Amino acid sequence: MSKIFDWQLVFTQIPAVLKYLPVTLELTAIAMIIGWIVGLLIAIVKIHNVPILKQISTAFVSVIRGTPIIVQLYLTYFGIPIALKYINYYYGTSYNVNGIPPIIFAIVALGLNQSAFDSETIRAAILSVEKGQVEAAKSLGMNGIQIFKRVIVPQAVTVAIPSLGNSLIGLVKGTSLAFTCSVVEITAQGKILAGNSYRYFEVYCSLAIIYFVLTIAIERVFTYIEKKMSVPEDVETEKKGRLPKKEGLSSELG
Amino acid sequence: MSLVEIRGLSKCFGSNIVLNNVDLSINKGDVVAIIGPSGTGKSTLLRSINLLEKPEQGTITINNKEISFTTKSSKEKLELRKNTEMVFQQFNLFKNRTALENVMEGLMTVKKLKKKEAKEIALKHLEKVGMSDRLSHYPRHLSGGQQQRVAIARALAMEPELLLMDEPTSALDPELVSEVLVTIKKAAQEGNTILLVTHEMNFVKNVATRIIFLENGKIVADGTPKEIFESPKSDRLKDFLVKIHMLENVEYSI
Repeated sequence: MSKIFDWQLVFTQIPAVLKYLPVTLELTAIAMIIGWIVGLLIAIVKIHNVPILKQISTAFVSVIRGTPIIVQLYLTYFGIPIALKYINYYYGTSYNVNGIPPIIFAIVALGLNQSAFDSETIRAAILSVEKGQVEAAKSLGMNGIQIFKRVIVPQAVTVAIPSLGNSLIGLVKGTSLAFTCSVVEITAQGKILAGNSYRYFEVYCSLAIIYFVLTIAIERVFTYIEKKMSVPEDVETEKKGRLPKKEGLSSELG
Repeated sequence: MSLVEIRGLSKCFGSNIVLNNVDLSINKGDVVAIIGPSGTGKSTLLRSINLLEKPEQGTITINNKEISFTTKSSKEKLELRKNTEMVFQQFNLFKNRTALENVMEGLMTVKKLKKKEAKEIALKHLEKVGMSDRLSHYPRHLSGGQQQRVAIARALAMEPELLLMDEPTSALDPELVSEVLVTIKKAAQEGNTILLVTHEMNFVKNVATRIIFLENGKIVADGTPKEIFESPKSDRLKDFLVKIHMLENVEYSI
């Protein structure tokens, strides 16, 4: 009788699944960067109350947050070719509607999804920097770009890092839906493997392990960055500074 | 020829006129204290000079250059801000930078000094305010009085023509007020031109060379400490002085 649950396979097939890890990582990295850049732009538009753009941003964020990511993936997967067809029709261009690499759809959908969520995080982080510090910087004669770069960003980043890390973890797991755009990443690869071996449960166990390890790694990295960037709890040099004093005291006492 | 000439400075918040056509000239080396009841525009006057508020009209001549308070040119704004430095009630140190970095910030970004030169100047000024032993402390590791002394060093390091101090001791524990007052007195004795809003009447009496009594956005009285405190001409000023003395009396009687 064949085994009911082949636990060895759970581990032995991990390398085969990992062949497509680069695709998962690529999706994650590019969508993350798009998310940060577009998210930052939306945040700035909202903070500065830019007319028209602000309304567009608000509507965009509201729609993205109000629809499931899988629906967004389908919308880009079918929507972009249709848009191209219209462009071809009206402007006489001849873009190849079927020639778009599938990963583009996934990147666009995941990136825009990220940007909507990250924009709120970034906005809140920027607003968390005290107005007084901005005034102090103005008073010193710093210009807007200098203030943004040297006063607001360093402090906003420390505030935003935990939430951005959280959203990145969500994104890693979100890439598992990219198969709907016919992108083969680790989840899709697992399904293909299981299609041959009929060991679906084993494959999902392998995938669970891989995602779990990935997530833990990202968590660790973000905890490290957070610690590095925040103002230390204690004064590092205070100890160094006090040492000679203590020595002096002890020598006096001795 | 006076160092700073302010002409026709007006500022209102909505229908509330806070500064009403204020004229003020300050000579080099003057320590001018602004006193007056709360809500009469003392802080607004200071903040307007640094363009942290947007006055409706008025001009300022500093360094023989006339700049309109309503200027849209960011170059002129920066020039005015470079000639004036503000010390705030809430210190407004950059929270993510150490005491030394706080003082170096303006020297490096605004005056474009090399790191080494900036450090030298910063060290010199931190020593003057008695903070040499707290160079690598972040603001959160410093007491209010220490933070304010760093803030004063930060302002003085920029070598402003005019130093603006907006209630520099109002946010401090009573115990810590004197260390800041001593620092300000030292800055005054070194020949800095200071425009100061404060409620420390005894300090004003001893250190200020000139006192301005501001009420309802107008300068009601203007004279030496002796003239103001010993032979006040205006009834409103008399009233005000009686009131603050009365408060003191009440305090003492408890």
